[in-house]
Amino acid sequence: MKLMTYDDICQFLYTEASLLDTRRYEEWLELLDDSLSYRMPVRVTRDFDEPDDIVNDMTFFDETKRSLTTRVQRFRTTSAWSENPHSRTRHFVSNIVVEPGTSEDEAKVHSYFLIMRSIRDRADVEQMFGERIDIIRRVDNRLQLVERTIYPDQTVLSMLNLSIFI
Amino acid sequence: MANQAGLDTSMLEGVKDKIRRGLLPQWAFTDSEIFKAEVKNIFAKTWNFLGHESEIENPGDYVTRWIVHDPVLLLRDQNGQIQAYLNSCAHRGTKLCTADFGNKKTFTCPYHGWTFNLSGDLIGIIAGNKVYGEEMDRSQWSLRKIPKVESYQGMIFGSLDEHAEPLETFLGDMKWYFDIMLGRSDAGMEVRGVPQKWIINTNWKISADNFGGDPYHTAMSHRSTVELGISPKDPMYASYGHQIVLDNGHGINMVTALGGAKVPPYQGLPEDMWPMFARNLSAEQLKVFENTMIIVGNCFPNLSFVSPMHGTGGPDEPLTSFVNFRVWRPVSPTKIEVTSWFMVDKEAPEAFKEASYLSYIGSFGPSGTLEQDDAEIWTRVAEASQGEMAQDKDIHYNNVLNYLMGLDRVEPDESWPGPGVAYPTCYLDAISRAFYEHWVDQLLATTDIPANVL
Repeated sequence: MKLMTYDDICQFLYTEASLLDTRRYEEWLELLDDSLSYRMPVRVTRDFDEPDDIVNDMTFFDETKRSLTTRVQRFRTTSAWSENPHSRTRHFVSNIVVEPGTSEDEAKVHSYFLIMRSIRDRADVEQMFGERIDIIRRVDNRLQLVERTIYPDQTVLSMLNLSIFI
Repeated sequence: MANQAGLDTSMLEGVKDKIRRGLLPQWAFTDSEIFKAEVKNIFAKTWNFLGHESEIENPGDYVTRWIVHDPVLLLRDQNGQIQAYLNSCAHRGTKLCTADFGNKKTFTCPYHGWTFNLSGDLIGIIAGNKVYGEEMDRSQWSLRKIPKVESYQGMIFGSLDEHAEPLETFLGDMKWYFDIMLGRSDAGMEVRGVPQKWIINTNWKISADNFGGDPYHTAMSHRSTVELGISPKDPMYASYGHQIVLDNGHGINMVTALGGAKVPPYQGLPEDMWPMFARNLSAEQLKVFENTMIIVGNCFPNLSFVSPMHGTGGPDEPLTSFVNFRVWRPVSPTKIEVTSWFMVDKEAPEAFKEASYLSYIGSFGPSGTLEQDDAEIWTRVAEASQGEMAQDKDIHYNNVLNYLMGLDRVEPDESWPGPGVAYPTCYLDAISRAFYEHWVDQLLATTDIPANVL
């Protein structure tokens, strides 16, 4: 990770959050490496002596850049009713911890997320929170997201749907 | 005159009459008295889906589930038998097991330390003899069994009513179709991972009705996939095939291509598997399965299923089928907790299993490109059904919803090879009408007076 600074990484994640919150999805897709793996496994409640409470066999997202592109194109149709009218989100990203990646041009990045979501005229707040573990790579002069695993803290999602990206 | 649940039976008779004429009072979705009556008269008496046998394969394996508000501990005991208990300590009622799944030999309550084995026996009490003496009969204090537990094609159901009819009687003609979806392979199905769970602010009947009898919604609700070129442009595309009304409020749609146009046989399942299908299904089941593209329906009251073919890319990407079952757990009149299981044939090739799973994740579940929009729309139905106009109980008032599609216009297709009353189109409200008629019959029923003499 010699080729990028902590500030570069923070700037990258905050920029990404802003693109998602303003629904500039095509620009967001440009931050994603062609080999992207984007997954959100299911969190479960386990017994005290079973520390692993993530089930990787089942997910809420298991995406490639291609499938995310399809999802973005769907939001651009006239009839993606979950986002028509669109919901309003704020992606709060914090607690960013950076580790060296497997090569000089990569970093492994842990971040917390809190997503607040407001739907139409409803006064109740939809929210989701958890941790993301990303692999971020420097490609030429910019950073790219190569891998993201989203670990939600809720075992029962309190959102009606995931017509958003995390 | 009021029935057991305290509802006015003459009002319910009026509702039944309306349903038969293709009209449903809008207050049925969100009325709190109706909800209480449903919990007591429907969910406490019917068979409720708890899980699949593949989720508890070995002795000691357990999962925790719900029958509406009753917490259930479902496990496989030392003898390999499936057991279901109220997940509540016999001593002070504490919820006993809090994990979603695991493997254990015993369950110990954190409150006072009472310990139960897989047979539900009370086998340990802290300072037992000192505080209770020898005279307390411990066999009286076992875990409380869910009164009835039975399986069909690996699907485990429980009933809170010890007098419930046998599961196979309850499923009735649905068994024939479950055989196609779940029993076509030699080793049956397996659940991948764990079910997804999430909350939607809607009524359980809105979602059950949608899966059960409403292929008509696809052309508009899911128009985005048509715009993308993934679904056919023909607004009738989900109408071809048969809508089949089954007994006990169940219903299923077997969607084909227009005019029997050529589609991949057996929903595109790998050719190596076809001999298995021929072994496990009757000639009639095989023929129906071969021509079907989409299977979607509801097992009364709240177990829905969908087995379509879908892709995660553009129009040039091949479509893969999957099998998905879900329970719409009623939490309140306007809230459900969805538990959704992805299942696949145990003996399918690994590559197919993976493609099938990705097809499911891409189209259904909370992030699914189809299901996203369903949840939003179901929420809007519940939102608009809670006001004074929708809640007006005078059933002569203009507050009924339209379930008229196909009423007295479509005749059953007598040549249909399967059981049930099959109509030659899926754009039809026949299943919905039968679903609500069965629903109101359950609300009218009391333990000692048959509905027809009220």
